[in-house]
Amino acid sequence: MLNFNVEFTGEFVAFFLLSVCAIVGAVMAINFTKVVHTALSIAFTFIAIAGLYVLLEAEFIAFVQVLLYVGAITILMIFGIMMTKHDGEGQEQTRPLLETLSAIGCICLFGILFYGIRNANFPAESAPFTEDNTREIGMQLFTQYAIPFELVSVLLTVAFVGAVALAKREEEPQ
Amino acid sequence: MQHFWDRPLSWGTAGIFVASAIGVLGFVIFFVTYAIYFERKFIGWMQYRQGPNRTGPLGLLQSVADVAKLLFKEDTIPKKADRGLFILAPVLAFVPSFAVLAFIPYTLELQFADLNVGFLYYIALSGITTIAIVVAGWASNNKYSLLGGMRSAAQMISYEVPLVMSVVGVVMMTGSLNLREIVIAQSGYFWEWNFLPQILGFVIFLIAAVSELNRTPFDLPEAESELVAGYHVEYSGFRFAFFMLTEYIYVYAIACLTTILFLGGWNPPIPQLDFVPGILWFFLKFSVIVFFLFWIRATFPRLRVDQLMGMAWKVLLPLAILNIFLTAIGIELMG
Repeated sequence: MLNFNVEFTGEFVAFFLLSVCAIVGAVMAINFTKVVHTALSIAFTFIAIAGLYVLLEAEFIAFVQVLLYVGAITILMIFGIMMTKHDGEGQEQTRPLLETLSAIGCICLFGILFYGIRNANFPAESAPFTEDNTREIGMQLFTQYAIPFELVSVLLTVAFVGAVALAKREEEPQ
Repeated sequence: MQHFWDRPLSWGTAGIFVASAIGVLGFVIFFVTYAIYFERKFIGWMQYRQGPNRTGPLGLLQSVADVAKLLFKEDTIPKKADRGLFILAPVLAFVPSFAVLAFIPYTLELQFADLNVGFLYYIALSGITTIAIVVAGWASNNKYSLLGGMRSAAQMISYEVPLVMSVVGVVMMTGSLNLREIVIAQSGYFWEWNFLPQILGFVIFLIAAVSELNRTPFDLPEAESELVAGYHVEYSGFRFAFFMLTEYIYVYAIACLTTILFLGGWNPPIPQLDFVPGILWFFLKFSVIVFFLFWIRATFPRLRVDQLMGMAWKVLLPLAILNIFLTAIGIELMG
């Protein structure tokens, strides 16, 4: 279970660095006390995950991930945070018993995940791997998955109209 | 460069990666130095004055002297600033701007990374710079910086939408997001370049691109007369230089992108001129776009915030969607 026979190719080094970045970002997001710092470390994790997608040769998903999660969602989060005041930020009181228990829980979870991943048996690739997978995504979306795709569009439009309606209603009482 | 990827990482291949990155950096810094010089000269010429003409012959060393001054300047950090983020923001702005340059195909052979989603790569990375600008504005703890950062975020998010939509027409005509294939599809006479069949998309792209670059008439994030200097009020010395460098590298990237997407990349205007190397054609078109950006800056007044937002959502976005429809109809009718 513990024989990690890895070859130091460029790909492995990139994978190692990106995973470390993703984990560091996630850990920092939990540890920071200022909300803007937290939002930024989440963005850092998102970028590292996009890097992992690139390694898996899923460039389209990788860049859409950066475009939406980093470019739009994180900026909106920071925007919202900046618009509001945060005077009550600061260190929370430490609770030793709770922290010990959660540390034990985390170690158990790690053990289970590690055991599961090392023992997992990945079957051979089912779908043929195509070089131009961006085109493949488009083809699938507009043929086999056309109805779910349209449903998602309708859902987004409903959310959009709802957001406009909510924003409009606040103006009326003047 | 793909073949280096699959081999074991040795000092030799790592050296090649580093050396080519340093080469690009050197070239881009050279471009930025002289882009600033020519910008000042052109604007001086258009406004009937001299522009820089004292340092070195014809003022050619003016930008070098300016950069040297910035590097030796005292580096100040405001007392109430968020120190970590204040230091991080210029770096966070610069790194994506430089990484964007990796995907540009200058000629058929000269390209660092051949991604099949070339255009999305640019849009995605430029979003990270937006975060850096917002963070710079917030970390400075100054009301003008914060306003500049806010405006920047709102503007970048709004104009990214028409920018992406305007390119959809080009992508539909080519059937690929790969920048190299987009250029190859435009080979032939100059009326086969995308800027004529996609004239609407081209105009939208140019307007949205000027806005993404935060240049006049859309330079609200750093509007001097309203916000002192916008998001970088508190920055001085080399941190300020990083923001300037970032801005001009994006000028470089947008000029390259416009050349590739709409002006046929390295293709000569008529196939008979094939004997001139492609890279010369590329940089000729590139210079025209850069000149165009300077020209706009010298001649247009700045918009108001509400006009800016109205322009993106009420004019450019519907036009971009219309362009997609027209392109689809055109492809359907003409095959």
